[in-house]
Amino acid sequence: MKKIFPLPSSIGLVVMLACLVSGPFARAAIENSECFGCHNDESLFRSGTDCVNHSRMNEQLYVDEEKFSHSVHHNNGIGCVDCHSDITTLNYKKNVPHKSQLEAVNCAMCHEEESTAFKDSVHMKIRGKGITMTCSACHGYHYVKHQESLSAKERANNSCAKCHNTSRSHDWLPKKNEHFAFVECVVCHVPEAPRHIHLTFFDMMSSKLYSGQEILKILGITEDDFMPMLDMNKDATINVDEFENLELMLRQKNVHAIFHAEMVAEMHAIVHQVNRGAALRDCKTCHSADSPYFKAVTLVLTRDDGQADHYQVDRAVLESFSLRHFYALGGTRMKLLDKIGFLLLAGGCAVVLGHLSVRIVTIPLRRKNEDESKESSLLKEVSR
Amino acid sequence: MKEEKRIYIHPGPVRAWHWLNAAGIIALVITGFQIRYAELLNLMQLKDAITLHNYAGFGVISAYFIWLFYYMSTGKITIYFPDLATFTDKAVRQAKFYGYGIFRGEPNPHVMTPENKFNVLQQKAYLGIMFVLLPAQMISGVFLWKVKGYSDYIYLLGGIRIIDTIHVLFFFFFAAFLVVHCYLATLGHTPLAHFKAMFTGYEEHH
Repeated sequence: MKKIFPLPSSIGLVVMLACLVSGPFARAAIENSECFGCHNDESLFRSGTDCVNHSRMNEQLYVDEEKFSHSVHHNNGIGCVDCHSDITTLNYKKNVPHKSQLEAVNCAMCHEEESTAFKDSVHMKIRGKGITMTCSACHGYHYVKHQESLSAKERANNSCAKCHNTSRSHDWLPKKNEHFAFVECVVCHVPEAPRHIHLTFFDMMSSKLYSGQEILKILGITEDDFMPMLDMNKDATINVDEFENLELMLRQKNVHAIFHAEMVAEMHAIVHQVNRGAALRDCKTCHSADSPYFKAVTLVLTRDDGQADHYQVDRAVLESFSLRHFYALGGTRMKLLDKIGFLLLAGGCAVVLGHLSVRIVTIPLRRKNEDESKESSLLKEVSR
Repeated sequence: MKEEKRIYIHPGPVRAWHWLNAAGIIALVITGFQIRYAELLNLMQLKDAITLHNYAGFGVISAYFIWLFYYMSTGKITIYFPDLATFTDKAVRQAKFYGYGIFRGEPNPHVMTPENKFNVLQQKAYLGIMFVLLPAQMISGVFLWKVKGYSDYIYLLGGIRIIDTIHVLFFFFFAAFLVVHCYLATLGHTPLAHFKAMFTGYEEHH
């Protein structure tokens, strides 16, 4: 599983020791609990000011500790002052124990690749028009979570749809609502971004998606047993038969889950590189049998912290009746239907050509019969 | 020379329905191939093919209701129902004609009248097409037109893959039928006689 800070613990220890030796001791000593001593108070506000240069509305300074404890930063050991790095000491003799105007948090300190990609995006370029878009505009502040487990719609709602009225700007796109429901925005808007088909479990009875933990609990197995149990031929890919076995196992547990498929981008820094005019507009890129967009297919077990475990699935699953609730026009078409269709058309044409040929060949016979018929009717008239 | 008799077989609403339906089906078949085989065919942009397919689909649905209203309101719908008592005998005679007698110049065993314009094989074929295949194709087409809007019905019927399979199989059937239908229309007393009759309304009997 990809972690934001995959530092081995030994390296982490060295970094920590280095901070203790070289950095201000007071900064290292500021614990989150000290911050929450004030910031877990819902009534904590920064008051508005009448000063024209610093005018601002009242701003809530409350941070929900419970929600923060589930954030990706907290889960990776990032403390408050790691981001708010201009707080070095706390002076409790003052009304506000630190600077009252903190500097903006610089996410690029850690998220360098994402920052580089963002700098080459339309969202950076709009600064020239006086619009400043920060990381927090999409990701929020204190409760940032992994987005791997989110659906295409949730991803859109969490980012693009906050500013963009997607429905108004896609009139050219046939079946735009279907696209919005099944395709994440950046799949088209950053065509270079790696993407895959996400297969998740959808409960028909309650109309909700199952989490990975729920599925494991239903199957009575642990995460480590999931793939060994499914992958009977040990090729590290879930094929059509193995996929159908999984559905059968769930049915045996009285779970009527269907597989919900979406096309989403992988969590890669390049997804931040959205640019005007770079969006994919050629429908054939997806809607053709040889489309590369359907090559990567993964079954997803979502986690509560927003991360997800991906299990590789054979593309053939997309073109089978095992996946009855997803079909991308042309892109995931069943080859069997093409063969049946060809036989129907060839049969129709063969009947026509065969009959026509015999009609042409038998023209002399019909002429002869017609002549004989005329002669006999003439003879009848004469005999009268 | 044989005596030629003109009989008014195809009333105006039927002719209007027929040609509207024909234009729609031809457009649906062409755009259908373009949509399914976008990587092989380059007749038009895929999005244009989808738009045209949708319009043509609604054209065929509208034409279907013209047909249904006319035949139901006049009571002529019965021309589509074969008489079961004589069906087998007549079907064998008609099949023998198409497979043998027609090559020898024998007369068609079925004589077209306004009240009985189809032979039994036509009755059986059109009964299936107009009451089963075409409605199924129209309904599956409407579902595919608004997948999100009709998602509850689609789930109920087993999923989008099932709806698509029905639509595609019938699409191939209609494409094949179009070829056969056009050929069968050349089996009149002249190759263009039935085509002409579908414009004028009058069939010429010899």
